[in-house]
Amino acid sequence: MAEYLLEMRGIVKDFSGVKALNGIDLAVRAGECVGLCGENGAGKSTLMKVLSAVYPHGSWTGQILWNGQELKARGIRETEEAGIVIIHQELMLVPHLSVTENIFLGNEITGFAGTLDYAAMHQRAAELMRDLKMPEVNVALPVSQYGGGHQQLIEIAKALNKKARLLILDEPTSSLTKAETAILLDIILDLKKKGVACVMISHKLDEIAAVCDTISVIRDGTHVGTRPMGELSVDQIITMMVGREITNLFPREEHPIGEVIFEARNVTCFDIDNPARKKVDDVSFQLRRGEVLGVAGLVGAGRTELAMAIFGCYPGKSSATVLLDGKPVHIDSPQTAVKSGLCLVPEDRKRHGIVPLMGVGHNITLSVPEQFSRFGVIDQAAEMQTIEKMIRRMRIKTATPMLAIQGLSGGNQQKAVFAKMLLPAPRVLILDEPTRGVDVGAKYEIYKLMMELVKEGMSIIMISSELPELLGMSDRVLVIGEGRLRGDFINNGLSQETVMAAAIGQTET
Amino acid sequence: MTFFRSLQQVFSRYKILALLIAIALIWSFFAWQSEGAFLTARNLSNLLRQMAITAMLASGMVFVIIAGEIDLSVGSMLGLLGGVAAVLDVSFHLPFGLNLAIVLTLGLLLGLFNGYWVAYLRVPSFIVGLAGMLVFRGILLAVTDGSTIAVESETFIGFGQAYLPISVGNVLAVLLFVMLVVLTLRARANRVRYQLAVPPLWQELGKLAAIAIIIAGFVTVLNSYEGIPVPVLIMLIILGAFSFMARNTVFGRRIYAVGSNLEATRLSGVNTRLVKMALFGLMGLMCALAGLTNTARLAAGSPSAGNMGELDAIASCFIGGTSMRGGSGTILGAIIGALIMASLDNGMSMLSVESYWQMIVKGSILLLAVWIDVVSGSSER
Repeated sequence: MAEYLLEMRGIVKDFSGVKALNGIDLAVRAGECVGLCGENGAGKSTLMKVLSAVYPHGSWTGQILWNGQELKARGIRETEEAGIVIIHQELMLVPHLSVTENIFLGNEITGFAGTLDYAAMHQRAAELMRDLKMPEVNVALPVSQYGGGHQQLIEIAKALNKKARLLILDEPTSSLTKAETAILLDIILDLKKKGVACVMISHKLDEIAAVCDTISVIRDGTHVGTRPMGELSVDQIITMMVGREITNLFPREEHPIGEVIFEARNVTCFDIDNPARKKVDDVSFQLRRGEVLGVAGLVGAGRTELAMAIFGCYPGKSSATVLLDGKPVHIDSPQTAVKSGLCLVPEDRKRHGIVPLMGVGHNITLSVPEQFSRFGVIDQAAEMQTIEKMIRRMRIKTATPMLAIQGLSGGNQQKAVFAKMLLPAPRVLILDEPTRGVDVGAKYEIYKLMMELVKEGMSIIMISSELPELLGMSDRVLVIGEGRLRGDFINNGLSQETVMAAAIGQTET
Repeated sequence: MTFFRSLQQVFSRYKILALLIAIALIWSFFAWQSEGAFLTARNLSNLLRQMAITAMLASGMVFVIIAGEIDLSVGSMLGLLGGVAAVLDVSFHLPFGLNLAIVLTLGLLLGLFNGYWVAYLRVPSFIVGLAGMLVFRGILLAVTDGSTIAVESETFIGFGQAYLPISVGNVLAVLLFVMLVVLTLRARANRVRYQLAVPPLWQELGKLAAIAIIIAGFVTVLNSYEGIPVPVLIMLIILGAFSFMARNTVFGRRIYAVGSNLEATRLSGVNTRLVKMALFGLMGLMCALAGLTNTARLAAGSPSAGNMGELDAIASCFIGGTSMRGGSGTILGAIIGALIMASLDNGMSMLSVESYWQMIVKGSILLLAVWIDVVSGSSER
């Protein structure tokens, strides 16, 4: 028996000359959980793709030892057979198939002449659900009936069913609520006891601290260090990741707050699938010039729907009255919203933020090519000047402005989406989870940018699930719970507990 | 292995290069088999005239496909508009200029009608096209009463059959070249004005020299027969105008954005429905031009005109490297795709290959072309 279940040695992977990984080592013992940390673009996901043979043996150099034997997998099937299962950040379930069918997808139990043995599969699936402490799941129902938290656990059930000995979790909690996260972490601890090893990629250091025994930090494709968990404080980990001390996590500064410029009245959204239910129920609020208004609430409370309704893009039935400078404006589409001076940086960057095949530059000017055009003809040079200015201002790291944006790391993509939504010179900027999946360094830059903007007189509505961020950046915090406005607090030493209590619905005021 | 991979990379980056090599192979094969008859000025002139109609349809279709839609009604629409033009000529004796204006307007309106169904009423474009395919063909049969209508106007027939006088061809070639030089220099000056990086002068001069050789060769070959055919001239004007549109206009930019990620584009404040409807309008306009050319070339409006035209156009786009996932593709590629299709038609007819073989070969080439696109696309990510 080898000392390590998995050993990766000197992994080098380059993409047309650019080294994404430059000699990385990683070792995992059976039953051990390793936290893999690093900024976005540091190479974490690439490393995991090498390990799971998404990049097959031969497309990189170095050595992978599995149980002491060299592993030369040519595809994900072979690594899964060995017992290495990756759970991606985006869920890979088929929504219309049942829980059982998803768990056994590609791995079905068959009877005579290839017919599916549903009885056996249902039984095994139900067993897995019990193991994962969610016996309430009906395995015969379609996966789409269940929320993000359950779906994440169903993914894990699928992996366990494949007899995983090493589980790779890529940002497993990014779409989970606090309670769901707690369950997931419990289950990881459980699996460890059973001898399953884990590699967990996460930006949330407290979660890593809760389950991991060892922490490995990579930066710019190189291995910075591996230490037992207990030896490092969160501050030290952050320092290792970014290579510099972050003394002031939130660069909040004094800035003047002016008169009320924006008001939303009686925002109501109806559930698309269940029109009798209100996802947002009669929410009204005001926003002042130069103000950062945080919007807090649990996942599913209706915050994103609120933003979408204001921005004119809620897909179901909704109603809202929006006033700018005290005058009602008619917003029935994102187009009219942008024209009226509202811009939105959406939550789901991949689906709603970037145009993947287009260059970074053309993504940045997507909203406003008219600014450089006469009679519909674009002045390319004038456009390029603006693009380069924005790239410099936002510090977007890209080889050239013409590079397709899908090749950039998450943080840089987010900065480009920001740049795009600044060019229309909005008066109100709505940010929906602006730092989700963004590394610590880029986060800080985004915060600093927000400060610059409010000093120039822009007003910001920031929806966020991270309380420290909300409290660190907002002048005022709205709390939404089950579609209703549960609180409106001036942020003057506001505590996390107060906000959380309001979100759950235990307000005493 | 590495050689193969780097070759693959070159081709996926410069799809046009792969297409040109394909053409060179096809042409040399036919030239060899026909003992040179394929490469005579007369045949090349013919070939270009044949491809013009498909190329016009493909010019509209390529943008529809880039935007993530498809239009199956274009063959029938071509037939209908060509038939209407013949009726207007024969029954109403309209002067050609007026006829042209009416038919173009009609094409634009029909296209916008299709686009309205797709963009605003949200019927999938595949269905809208299928419906249009039947409806337009039905109306054509009603309009022509099921019989062929011979066109009378000489000017009309000239629209499809005439050649430019040799001197005019030469002057146009020189004008085109001068325009390209001016545009290049202006773009250069602009970049300097905005203090952006400028490519080395020799590179741009080299590019211009290559273009000059291509233009000169093209005009010399065509002039050594009868001159530049009018439909070919129209096709080239469309190529130029649409390339410019794709690259340098707000509308062009939006077509690609809509095709690559509709939602992100919409949330950026772009009126994506209008873009889609306008695209179908453009497609209708191209159908009108193709219909007029087709009627003029045959000197008659026929109830079967444009049959399967949509398939040739769609195949040209895919052969020309347009991605079926939307978001990428070029007009030049689509027109070269049309040239490949026309070369196969022309060459095989010249060698008196049975028509069923022609269909089999064309179908296989389409399959192959899309396969190559899939392979080169998946190797990236």
